[in-house]
Amino acid sequence: MLKVDNLGVGYGDLQVVWDVSFEVPSGSLVAIIGSNGAGKTTTLRALMNLLPTITGTIEFQGESIVGVPTHQIVERGLVMIPESRATFASLTVADNLDLGAYTKRSRGMRDATLRDVYEIFPRLAERRTQLAGTLSGGERQMLAIGKALMARPEMLVLDEPSLGLAPIIVEDTFDEIRAIRERGVSVLMVEQHVEMTLELVDYAYVLELGHVAVQGSSSDLMTNSGVRAAYLSLK
Amino acid sequence: MRQLIIQSAVSGLLVGGIYGLVALGLALSFGVLKVLNVAHGELVMLGGYAAFFLFSQMGIDPLVSIPLVFVVLFALGVALYWLLFKFVVRFDIETRIKNSLLISFGLVLILQAIAVFIFSGDDRTIVTGYSSNALVVTGWVRIPWARSAGLVVAIIAAFALEWLLNRTTFGHAVRGTSEDWTLASLTGIDVRRVYMIAFAISAGLAGLAGSLVSLGYSISPSIGLGWTLKALIVIVLAGLGSMRGIVMAGALLGLIEGLASVWVGSAYRGVVALVVFLVVLSFRPQGLFGREGTHV
Repeated sequence: MLKVDNLGVGYGDLQVVWDVSFEVPSGSLVAIIGSNGAGKTTTLRALMNLLPTITGTIEFQGESIVGVPTHQIVERGLVMIPESRATFASLTVADNLDLGAYTKRSRGMRDATLRDVYEIFPRLAERRTQLAGTLSGGERQMLAIGKALMARPEMLVLDEPSLGLAPIIVEDTFDEIRAIRERGVSVLMVEQHVEMTLELVDYAYVLELGHVAVQGSSSDLMTNSGVRAAYLSLK
Repeated sequence: MRQLIIQSAVSGLLVGGIYGLVALGLALSFGVLKVLNVAHGELVMLGGYAAFFLFSQMGIDPLVSIPLVFVVLFALGVALYWLLFKFVVRFDIETRIKNSLLISFGLVLILQAIAVFIFSGDDRTIVTGYSSNALVVTGWVRIPWARSAGLVVAIIAAFALEWLLNRTTFGHAVRGTSEDWTLASLTGIDVRRVYMIAFAISAGLAGLAGSLVSLGYSISPSIGLGWTLKALIVIVLAGLGSMRGIVMAGALLGLIEGLASVWVGSAYRGVVALVVFLVVLSFRPQGLFGREGTHV
């Protein structure tokens, strides 16, 4: 579904990601994990063409998306939820969801998708006339996910979905991500909560200082002594 | 004296409607694109000439040509966006404001020079059969029809714009883009297209205002900057976030100027308006009708 080869990305003259290669097979749930500053968000921004790539190729459903404008990448079914400010604070819940189905691929199915989203998140239906900026952190996370689902993604990219949320809400969010995958949507997520993430995903890439340091199935990584020492604080 | 005061208040209110209309357009391009188009008043001036020549050459009544002038200026807005402003919106927001100031000051000079060259420096006014007609209230307060159109069109434009922004999906896209263009593009919105259309609507609104200026008042190539300054005062007075608030602030500014011209003398009416403006801002820095956290 998504295939990234030898990706290099940077800000101006400062390159922060080198030769990163990874793959998200159709229907799978893959994570990129690593500490702060490892280049995880930068990688995702390059994926969506919010940052230009310096080297490498990005293929989505067999076609290169390097240089394709961001809104057209969304039109192709690759949808990203950014780590913070993932909803429009000055718009109501209903208007945020309406905008979620802005693309041509999702527009015709808007009403049906909206019913699904309200069924998954009844809380959003209760708050539909409220401004997104007045929602609690957990509700805003629901809205961000609901808004992304409105776009009818083939593949969903989540940048640190646990950031700034209470542990119990992080658990809910991870359950929702699992449910999204079960609906046939491939998922790529970036996380710092390594242990919880490895319990959720099929396969993970560990990014260190802009390079892929380790990769493997989640069960392999959980038993990998280097990963355990560096990220799981278990010996 | 009472008659003079009421008459000045009415006249001020009517011109204030046009202040509001000019400010609506400027608020739209500033709120969405984060560019400050100082040449907005020149677009008012060009709209005025468009209405003037549609009337004098083709005999089209200005009240009929208003939608036509909107379309002409809308098209000019698209052209200006492609020629100039699309290069500015590539930058971060602070750079956009600085660069757009420089570019649009240049545009002011160019458009003024073109207008002098084509239209000459003479004052022009549209004189129709109903130009001198007025509604006379209680025997002595005159409400000229031609000038009333300014306030009416401003109110209609404000409601239409609020409907567009609040009730349509495209309007939601405009508001979303003005809040956070990165998130808008991740939502599948073609941000450049939103920018172009918002700028074109802004120019179209300037055209509307211009045709009303040439109908109720007069136009010449140099009127632009004055209108831009009035619009800036109105926007700061109103605060961003409410289109009808902008029209109300425009009417209020006109009213204050009208009353000041009686009580203080017409030479000082601009000064009095600015004093009121400063007083309002020191008590309500978000503007009279502004809401925090709003962007258009």
